[in-house]
Amino acid sequence: MYKILEKKEIAMRNTWYKVHAPHVARKVQPGQFVIIRAFENGERIPLTPVMWDREDGWIVLVVFTRGRTTMRMAAELKEGDEILNIAGPLGNPVPMKKFGKILAIGAYTGIVEVFPIAKAWQELGNDVTTLNVTFEPMVVLKEELEGAVSRHIVEPVPIDPNLDFPANMRNVTKRLTEKVHEMLEKEGFDLVFMVGPAGDQRAVFNVVKEFGVPMKVDLHPIMVDGTGMCGACRVTVGGEVKFACIDGPEFDAYQVAWDELIARSGYYTDLEAKAMQEYMKALQGGGQ
Amino acid sequence: MARAKPKLIKERVPTPEVPVEERVRSFVEVNLGYDFASALKEAERCIQCPPEYAPCIKGCPVHINIPGFIRALRENPDNPDEAVKNALRVIWNDNTLPAVTGRVCPQEEQCEAPCVMGKVGEPINIGKLERFVADYARKHGIEEALLREFMGGNGGMKGKVAVVGSGPAGLTCAGELAKMGYKVTIFEALHKPGGVLIYGIPEFRLPKEILEKEIAKLRELGVEIKLDYIVGKTVTLEELLEEYDAVFIGTGAGTPKLLNIPGILLDRIYTANEFLTRINLMKAYLFPEYDEPIAIGKKTIVIGAGNTAMDAARSALRLGTEVTIAYRRGREDMTARIEEIQHAEEEGVKFEFFVNPVEFIGDENGKVKAVKFEKMRPLDERDSRGKRKIVGTGEYITLEADTVIIAIGLEPNRIISEEATGLKTNSDGTLVVDENLMTSIPGVFAGGDAIRGEATVILAMGDGKKAAKAIHNYIQAKKANA
Ligand SMILES: Cc1cc2nc3c(=O)[nH]c(=O)nc-3n(C[C@H](O)[C@H](O)[C@H](O)COP(=O)(O)OP(=O)(O)OC[C@H]3O[C@@H](n4cnc5c(N)ncnc54)[C@H](O)[C@@H]3O)c2cc1C
Ligand SMILES: Cc1cc2nc3c(=O)[nH]c(=O)nc-3n(C[C@H](O)[C@H](O)[C@H](O)COP(=O)(O)OP(=O)(O)OC[C@H]3O[C@@H](n4cnc5c(N)ncnc54)[C@H](O)[C@@H]3O)c2cc1C
Ligand code: SF4
Ligand code: FES
Repeated sequence: MYKILEKKEIAMRNTWYKVHAPHVARKVQPGQFVIIRAFENGERIPLTPVMWDREDGWIVLVVFTRGRTTMRMAAELKEGDEILNIAGPLGNPVPMKKFGKILAIGAYTGIVEVFPIAKAWQELGNDVTTLNVTFEPMVVLKEELEGAVSRHIVEPVPIDPNLDFPANMRNVTKRLTEKVHEMLEKEGFDLVFMVGPAGDQRAVFNVVKEFGVPMKVDLHPIMVDGTGMCGACRVTVGGEVKFACIDGPEFDAYQVAWDELIARSGYYTDLEAKAMQEYMKALQGGGQ
Repeated sequence: MARAKPKLIKERVPTPEVPVEERVRSFVEVNLGYDFASALKEAERCIQCPPEYAPCIKGCPVHINIPGFIRALRENPDNPDEAVKNALRVIWNDNTLPAVTGRVCPQEEQCEAPCVMGKVGEPINIGKLERFVADYARKHGIEEALLREFMGGNGGMKGKVAVVGSGPAGLTCAGELAKMGYKVTIFEALHKPGGVLIYGIPEFRLPKEILEKEIAKLRELGVEIKLDYIVGKTVTLEELLEEYDAVFIGTGAGTPKLLNIPGILLDRIYTANEFLTRINLMKAYLFPEYDEPIAIGKKTIVIGAGNTAMDAARSALRLGTEVTIAYRRGREDMTARIEEIQHAEEEGVKFEFFVNPVEFIGDENGKVKAVKFEKMRPLDERDSRGKRKIVGTGEYITLEADTVIIAIGLEPNRIISEEATGLKTNSDGTLVVDENLMTSIPGVFAGGDAIRGEATVILAMGDGKKAAKAIHNYIQAKKANA
């Protein structure tokens, strides 16, 4: 049981949790993640420690309210409550090397996963530019990144109330690809790194590929155990089936079978919607 | 009480089962087990071969004194509590998880295979008797009294041992060491202990409540269980060795093998492990009461024919789909327990034999819609593992399916061996151990599926027990030399 030391909404649908989890704090490296289970009847979801203090034994998680579990967390968990399970650190750390000039991109809440990696790369002597493309009210960790890397760029996309959600998301994709194109045209980068929805990763990769710049991505397939035991997280990389939780989550974007990954990430959409509806109904029934 | 002339009763006393129509709609336990009266009747059939040569004892991998516990039942026909307590004491001497093994062991290949009564009629129903003793004791509070007799009693002063993994191997090793007086800490990666017993074997074969009670006994013996700890990530083997006098690795064989054929990443193709974990550990069959979803269609094909395939097939059936098991060999080659194959058949699982998948075919949305198989033919030869060899016929069939579950086997998880490079492994990922179950690193022992590959619960427990003795000798020798 892991105590929530701090909980606050830091942007629209983005919640910050500072949690006591000394076993993770002691060991975690940039690029690694945890699997948490917040409720007795809850599922296991993967999240990323954004910051940590090895001595005091806490980690910070920033969670985008996406579906049932993350919404329940936002609605039901209070400061002082406990998260039932936090397993980790899991996955492989990203390589800590001097790549040179790096563009590290975070679409939406993906920027929180970019944070520890970009910061460590910068500290190692890389020249890191971070780019956050997201909806206007969802910008997070702006000051933190400005203090951590050479240059931090925020590209806020306004939410158009006349458009539906997918159309709004397409606007983000558009801004992302345009901005990356513009930056690569103007300056040379030795490495591009990106965290975000698979569809956006592919869109950006298609731009980066034109310039022939090496690109790494953190992949987010569905995970259950996170320890290599179920294969839910399998992805094809370089023609081979890999388990993202133990072989990744970071992979070479040039080796990823994008179509397959994107198809797989939509598998649970209908059930996720159902879980969410049930939860909303329960909330209303409970008079909250 | 002695009878003048023992009369051989050839037939087993049957155990009641939940009717098929009722059980296929739920995850309730299928077999209801004996009550005291029927257990006694079954116990009466045993002719009490002398323990030094009773074939059943030899057939049991941990050598439970079977005629001994059966006798204990018979000695107190009018006092069930006393009878069960004495029987349980005999069983616990060799096996601390009888409620589990009584349910999941393939007795027909172990203790019951050589049973003398099997020559004249049906063998004694040893598994169900063992299960009866454990269940009765748990329900009537007899375990608590007996636990005290088994406590090591010196508060862990003999030394500290870390056990990695809480499957049957780890649980047994921990229990034995605690009984000897060691302070034991189990490190488990998942959020619940039990290994395959919790995430693999479904409720309808092994109710989780029973498992939890079996594990609670260990806690009473003083064993500490740390969940969410992945050894190799959260803590390294080296760090464990600094803090503990010895380490036991019982991390099992939990990594699923995948078929290396086109279409493997299509939607609704699960590994059995993912499917069963969602159902057993996360209770996805209770979705949306539980948060974990499970997507299943109307026609499911399960590939493989071991226990895992049977469990996946029967679970899928309970979620309301039609199920076909597709196996590349024949009916008599199936490796699952006979009882479970029978249950699957009764419940309406269909079987296709001598078919080997060559491709998964998807629809325009990336969902699986059919599986293409090559028809196989058996040869009159056996492979190195004693299995019938098969060859392709060049003929193909395609079966429709909107859900596929792959249950073609598991291999050891590599997390520890990748991190602890001094740990020697075989080419299949199993850990190399000597005759004392010690690995290539002094003080680190291993057992169960981690050294055998996919095997059985009782073999894992046997290893756990053997390793506990070896660990005891190792620590005492080290202390004597210090
Ligand atoms: C390695 C890794 C690190 C992550 N780090 C963060 C983070 O720091 N902050 C954050 O907000 N999100 C992070 N995510 C994504 C996060 O796990 C999902 O947003 C979350 O699981 C959604 O759960 P839900 O029930 O609210 O949503 P639903 O949409 O209802 O999800 C239901 C199911 O789908 C799975 N799922 C859905 N989307 C994803 C996804 N993108 N990735 C993995 N599983 C998914 C969940 O495990 C769950 O089983 C990370 C994902 C991965 C793989
Ligand atoms: C679906 C299914 C049905 C089966 N049915 C039967 C049956 O009816 N009868 C029978 O005899 N056998 C059956 N078996 C086989 C039997 O379950 C196994 O042989 C047995 O569980 C092996 O025990 P173990 O303790 O070695 O490993 P496991 O039970 O696999 O336990 C290993 C544990 O270690 C944990 N772990 C792994 N890596 C780490 C790490 N790095 N750090 C911390 N923890 C870790 C895992 O999470 C797991 O909890 C079945 C197997 C399956 C999959
Ligand atoms: S072999 Fe059969 S009859 Fe003989 S002691 Fe064992 S169970 Fe009884
Ligand atoms: S999440 Fe189960 S193998 Fe990766």
